[in-house]
Amino acid sequence: MSVEWIEQVLQLTVQMGTVYLLASLGEIYAERSGVLNLGLEGTMIMGAATSFIFSLAYGHFAAIIMSIIVGALMGFILSILVVDMKLNQVIVGLALTMLGIGLSGFITFPEIRKNLLLRLNPYLPQEILATQQSEKLPEIPIPLLSDIPILGKMFFSHNILVYFSLIASLIMWFILFKTSIGLTIRSVGENPSMADSLGVNVYLVRRVTVILSGAFASLAGAYFFIGFHPFWREEVTAGRGFIALALVILATWNPLRAILGAYLFGGVETFQYRLQLFGLGAQSPYFLAMLPYIVTIITLIIISTESIKKRLGAPASLGIPYSREE
Amino acid sequence: MAKLLAIPYTVKIQKRTYITRKVSISITFLSLILAFLVVGLIFIFMGINPVDVYYHITMVFSSPTLLFESFKRAIPIGLAALGLSIAFRMNFWNIGAEGQMYMGMFASTGIVLLHLYYGLIPDYLVMFLMMLAAFITGGLWCSLPAFLKIKMKVNEILTTLMMNYVAMYFVDFLIYGPWRDPKGYGFPLSAPFPDYAKLVMLLGEFAYTGLLLLSLTAALVYVILKYTKLGFELKIVGESIDTARYAGINLSKVITLGGFLSGGVAGLGGLTIVSGIIGRLRPRASPGYGYTAIIVVLLSSLNPWLIIPVSIFFGGLFVAGDILQAALKIPGAAVEICQASIFLFIIVGEFIKRYRIMIVQKGGIE
Repeated sequence: MSVEWIEQVLQLTVQMGTVYLLASLGEIYAERSGVLNLGLEGTMIMGAATSFIFSLAYGHFAAIIMSIIVGALMGFILSILVVDMKLNQVIVGLALTMLGIGLSGFITFPEIRKNLLLRLNPYLPQEILATQQSEKLPEIPIPLLSDIPILGKMFFSHNILVYFSLIASLIMWFILFKTSIGLTIRSVGENPSMADSLGVNVYLVRRVTVILSGAFASLAGAYFFIGFHPFWREEVTAGRGFIALALVILATWNPLRAILGAYLFGGVETFQYRLQLFGLGAQSPYFLAMLPYIVTIITLIIISTESIKKRLGAPASLGIPYSREE
Repeated sequence: MAKLLAIPYTVKIQKRTYITRKVSISITFLSLILAFLVVGLIFIFMGINPVDVYYHITMVFSSPTLLFESFKRAIPIGLAALGLSIAFRMNFWNIGAEGQMYMGMFASTGIVLLHLYYGLIPDYLVMFLMMLAAFITGGLWCSLPAFLKIKMKVNEILTTLMMNYVAMYFVDFLIYGPWRDPKGYGFPLSAPFPDYAKLVMLLGEFAYTGLLLLSLTAALVYVILKYTKLGFELKIVGESIDTARYAGINLSKVITLGGFLSGGVAGLGGLTIVSGIIGRLRPRASPGYGYTAIIVVLLSSLNPWLIIPVSIFFGGLFVAGDILQAALKIPGAAVEICQASIFLFIIVGEFIKRYRIMIVQKGGIE
């Protein structure tokens, strides 16, 4: 185990963890305002698919912007169904996940991909159509800082979305806990009728947070595809959206704790692949793959204790639709 | 951004007091038709001729051999859905049918392998023990979240969902590890089941045995929900947990038992996959039957009898997916789109059945 090896593992840990971090950031806001966005997995895979197609058609920038738009759109659909029509959040979320997996599955076939690409950009050069291979987002090492041993590789030589995820979690933590906007969001999740009587537009707040969660989940998918693993296959995100959902609980709805949790899950996953490379424990990958889910179940049990729940500030009306008594 | 989202109209929603059966059924059919229309639009966008797709889907239900194949797929879906109908009745959001099916597969394969490798069990007992083991293992897998819900208020939606993945990876582990067939040339497959461990006893076809099993289970679930004390208690728990508490119902017993039955029936569904459809265990043996079952239950509004035809319909969609992939080179995802679209339109339809929607301009007449 040389220094390079450790550096490489840590770098991959952060890169893998960023997928979970980005997806969980938006979800933290949605859940803080009382809405469980179970469509996270579907939104994420739609983000990955969008980024694939648009990075081929118009490049990386368009890919990121479009995937954010697509995710926001899916969040908007969810918010209409769940916030305004007060349909069951679990069912709608699952339906959206199925929709996302189904829609994104189409582009698995090169023929359909070609149709789509030509529709989006008729002047697409022939060689891109022939290879249909996305380029990875370029790494931007930060000068000087990236030369620090170990830490440099771990935090300062990544692509732009990794930096963005770290800055975003700081900002989102600040907004959630230190500003009046954050107070409003938390109060809506804690006691919507109280918030309503104080003049807060509960529906509007929930709509915005759900759209935000869609946008972030989709961005996470885009990052996963063009920033980490630019090779398409069906169900490319492979349940990572659900792990992000788990991470939100592990992080107890706190964007800063989400960073730690994300790198923990990212580390577990990186380790899983590394162990396989070493031929170590042919059985272990499956148990390691279970780990995030088991950790989540245990976390759920621990934080469900009434006193701990109060102290951590779990949103009290999570999953309960709000309807104004008239 | 935020201003834009504050739509200048308010949507007033009123509960309907009464809806005729005719209207209710026509809303359901309308949602189905709309769902297929939207799917058609998606196909056109993807550059696929939707008529081809519709044609292949209708073909599944008109050709006897393909319909037969749909029956086979309907059996695990239907059993999982029957299990879910018990859980949903008591307002327990079990979305873990997929995992409970995997546990059912694990248990039934375990019995077969015990028999094959160690010969501990006489031939005629194998099938019976498989069913028992699948039921108990699936049941336990679901009664854990039920127990956690009632004792520690742990949200069952997330625990059942997470346990799906745990079960799936557990089966992966067994199949890539200790349960891999030593004579299987290294493929991740278990040893093939002997004939007496397969569900092919009736007329030599699994579909008949399976349908019989499905109908019997439906009858049993119907009787339990309608005529037993447990069924009555489940219903009260589902309507209001507080009422149930005041009525002196032993909540932890009823919910844990309800969860056990729900998971057990889904576990039987898992058994029908390995010993009916495939004839051995392989990783990812269920292409999401457990999730489809959720749509089936909602579409048949928890009615055990309706579950049978509805699951045949969805079984047919799975068959159609395979055919589309082979004949038209359309990805299997096409079926998932149909399912999801039906799912979404049905829930919106349910909403319209229950509420009247009025759009009122803000600041207008209140």
